[in-house]
Amino acid sequence: MVEHIEYFISIWPELFKGLVVSLQLSAGALLLGLVIGLPMALMRTYGKGIVKALAVAYIELIRGTPMIVQLFLIYYGLPDLGILLDRIPAAIVALGINSSAYQAEYFRGAILSIDEGQGMAAQALGMTKQQAILYIILPQALRLVIPPWSNEVIYMVKYTSVAFLIAVPELMARGKMIISETFKPLETLFWVGVIYIVVLSIIAKIVDLIERKLAIPGFQMIRED
Amino acid sequence: MAKPILRVENVYKKFKDTEVLKGLSLTVYEGEVVVIIGPSGTGKSTLLRCINRLTEPDSGDIYLEEQKIEPGKSNLSYIRQQIGMVFQDFNLFNHLTALQNVAVGPIKVKKMEKNKAMELAMKELERVGMAEKAGNYPAELSGGQKQRVAIARALAMDPKIMLFDEPTSALDPELIGEVLEVMKDLANAGMTMMVVSHEMGFAREAADRIVFLEDGVVAEMGSPEKIFNNPEKERTREFISKIARLNNGCKDQEVL
Ligand SMILES: Nc1ncnc2c1ncn2[C@@H]1O[C@H](COP(=O)(O)OP(=O)(O)OP(=O)(O)O)[C@@H](O)[C@H]1O
Ligand SMILES: [Mg+2]
Repeated sequence: MVEHIEYFISIWPELFKGLVVSLQLSAGALLLGLVIGLPMALMRTYGKGIVKALAVAYIELIRGTPMIVQLFLIYYGLPDLGILLDRIPAAIVALGINSSAYQAEYFRGAILSIDEGQGMAAQALGMTKQQAILYIILPQALRLVIPPWSNEVIYMVKYTSVAFLIAVPELMARGKMIISETFKPLETLFWVGVIYIVVLSIIAKIVDLIERKLAIPGFQMIRED
Repeated sequence: MAKPILRVENVYKKFKDTEVLKGLSLTVYEGEVVVIIGPSGTGKSTLLRCINRLTEPDSGDIYLEEQKIEPGKSNLSYIRQQIGMVFQDFNLFNHLTALQNVAVGPIKVKKMEKNKAMELAMKELERVGMAEKAGNYPAELSGGQKQRVAIARALAMDPKIMLFDEPTSALDPELIGEVLEVMKDLANAGMTMMVVSHEMGFAREAADRIVFLEDGVVAEMGSPEKIFNNPEKERTREFISKIARLNNGCKDQEVL
């Protein structure tokens, strides 16, 4: 037991650096996903003609292709077009674009679940369609979207491990580097797994707190647990 | 003669192949309470929605006082502010408290200062007897309470006319009375009102005029006495007695 702990202590500094990179990737990708995903959801829900078609095409294209393909396309493919991204930005862009399509669908689902009557009532008061969306629909949709969105956070932290395929030094990649030095795959991967679990439970707790803080009677946001 | 507040002139509306409004004309005068009755699917809701352009009529003109209501040209938002609307299923904003529901219109649409809007909202809630529930969210209110808040929300915009689309038909029987009381108070206070409702008691007491809509046009209209006791058309008489039977049916159930 003691030697396991000692081993963990010896590899922790390396793993910690990897963890920091993993969290940076997650945060960057989630943010990018949000910034692209929300407008896509609005375009798909409220847009007409070409605007709507563009959003549908984007979302379905991204959701219909494997993430690894997207990652390789951005890291190895874009340089052919003269766009050269470093490993970490490339990973953030790939993960973020991938996430944006899923986030768009979460947002759209939430928007559609709010009954049309409220938008009509808002317009009857004299609000423009945009005001009705901004002040009435979105504040509710954003609350409803918290549970699926928090799942996306959890997925994202795990998905960042694919970035090791383009040699981003995130948690998984650090683990592999350590294994090649210590030849202890089982112990190393065990501790990598433990770190993921601990970090993910902390994130889940934080999201849960936020949900409770924003809870409003009538919104089924608190998940049964 | 009092001055006209709302003039509906020869309005047509069809959805796909069904013609709903077929050249409907109707004028509502200042301070008047007009109760609209008519069979299901006859276009009562469509008429109300055409008035504030939640639905676009195919042809015909609608005027609020001297302002022609039309999309694009006139400022539709400005017109809608002056037409209060109360819906069958309340349509309160679920993420806002009762007070915020009432204040949000003045704040966002009229750009009223927040404190002033809250004060106004409180006054409107008092008017409908809902001041005590100002801090409650819609999910914490009964149907009758929700509808009273919805009425206060419309009143807060200081409308020239209030449109009600079957305001009590989604309510449990024991909650109908409190909403009708509020509406009667409004009528007594001189509000111009156009009410789609089959509550005969309310129509008898509060209406200045009853309009029987059928088949997309005004089939008959007149004072409550005339329409209830002495209608010109056989169809009106049939419809009134049908409604009366239904209403009595409800009352019997209530007693049981
Ligand atoms: N948005 C719409 N699209 C297609 N058809 C519609 C639409 N709105 C209303 N209709 C149709 O128009 C007709 C009139 O509807 P409307 O809701 O105005 O009737 P109503 O008199 O209010 O009836 P009720 O007493 O049942 O409320 C109905 O046949 C209805 O199916
Ligand atoms: Mg109707």
